[in-house]
Amino acid sequence: MSTEHDPAGMTRRQLIRHSAWFGAAVVLTVAGGEVISHIAGSADAAQSATPALRFAQISDSHIGFNGPANSNVADTFNQAIGQINGLGFTPDFVIHTGDLTHLATPAQFDQVKQMMTDLNTPHIFTVPGEHDSTDDAGQKYRQAFGAGTRGDGWYSFDIAGVHLIGLVNTLNLNKLGHLGTDQLEFIEKDVAGLSNDTPIIVFSHIPLFAMYPDWGWGTDDAAQALSYLKRFSSVTCLNGHVHQLFSKTEGNVTFYSATTTAYPLPAPGQGPAPKPMTLPAGKLHDALGIREVSYTKGQQALALKDRKLT
Amino acid sequence: MTSSRLAIRIALFASLAASGVVHAYLYVDGYRDIPTVGPAFLLQGSAFCALAVLVLAGGPAWLRLAAAIGAAGSLLAFGLSRTGGLFGFIETGWQPAPYAVISVVAESLTIVLVAATALRRSKSSAL
Repeated sequence: MSTEHDPAGMTRRQLIRHSAWFGAAVVLTVAGGEVISHIAGSADAAQSATPALRFAQISDSHIGFNGPANSNVADTFNQAIGQINGLGFTPDFVIHTGDLTHLATPAQFDQVKQMMTDLNTPHIFTVPGEHDSTDDAGQKYRQAFGAGTRGDGWYSFDIAGVHLIGLVNTLNLNKLGHLGTDQLEFIEKDVAGLSNDTPIIVFSHIPLFAMYPDWGWGTDDAAQALSYLKRFSSVTCLNGHVHQLFSKTEGNVTFYSATTTAYPLPAPGQGPAPKPMTLPAGKLHDALGIREVSYTKGQQALALKDRKLT
Repeated sequence: MTSSRLAIRIALFASLAASGVVHAYLYVDGYRDIPTVGPAFLLQGSAFCALAVLVLAGGPAWLRLAAAIGAAGSLLAFGLSRTGGLFGFIETGWQPAPYAVISVVAESLTIVLVAATALRRSKSSAL
């Protein structure tokens, strides 16, 4: 039997032997994957059993936008609100990371504020996008959402042992986002009294990392701000602006760009400029979404779940 | 089996297992939440651990070739994640330390060991 050759020159015994090795490779890979997934699942269960903080992020609703990329941004924003309300738990707060409106008109601010009252959460926080300060350096934005903030609308607060900072990097734009001296001083003083093991979460509209500076997707003085956060063991920066999911790690800092509830933008460098993309019918919802974030005491990294709009 | 062959087999086991365990650890540690990259870490971790065991058990040459191709793919993915981005994921330098260094060294060693084995075989068959 062993001497029977197939056309490729392999004996039947060799073929069976190779098949056995291949089968063993597949079985061991699948079994290993199951074991790793089980360990990760146990870690997930441990985290979900005792999350100290759970919140949701939405971004770039662009209320007032009207174009072929999304003919009804109010409708998709409402769906995002409904999806957050259906998460199965009440988020400790919801953060909107900017571009609440498209043209910063009083009517658009009224509309988005009214819509956000439907969110089932005790607190709503926002940071402004450049679309929220098109003609007045953010005055109308601060009238609508600036209560309790400092300077041009920045702020910080603590929940469940986590220190959260909301930054404004959409005023005084010179292509890139900009924080400015006053805000940098605020950050330095704000974190000065915190212990190194305090988890830090930073919200901004424009990324604090150089995602694609040619399109203004970065903040020119972010390095100074991040230098004040270098000593902390866990720093997470959440931003909007780029209308797509993106993540980056630099030392102790992890950056996560969120998607939008309005319309997608091209990937960095794909095309001459970041213009709204019109997707084929039925594909828009796949590009839109919400983000769920949870933090468990003792865990260095936050757990993020990005969900497509349903 | 010669002692040098056994030594190479053990070294391949160690390099594959190191890369696989690092990827599995990072997957459990939090990379599982990164779209596309997370599942890729799971696949890399489980496949490399499986290959490590099978190579140590004396598997055929194509298993070592698969290990080298997998190691080259992992190094390519590492390079992309430090330059243009990999499925929207980008990292800087040798972060996360020390896992990035361990992984790159282990995968480079895998390629070198497989190449050395192939070279030995071709020399001995030429004799």
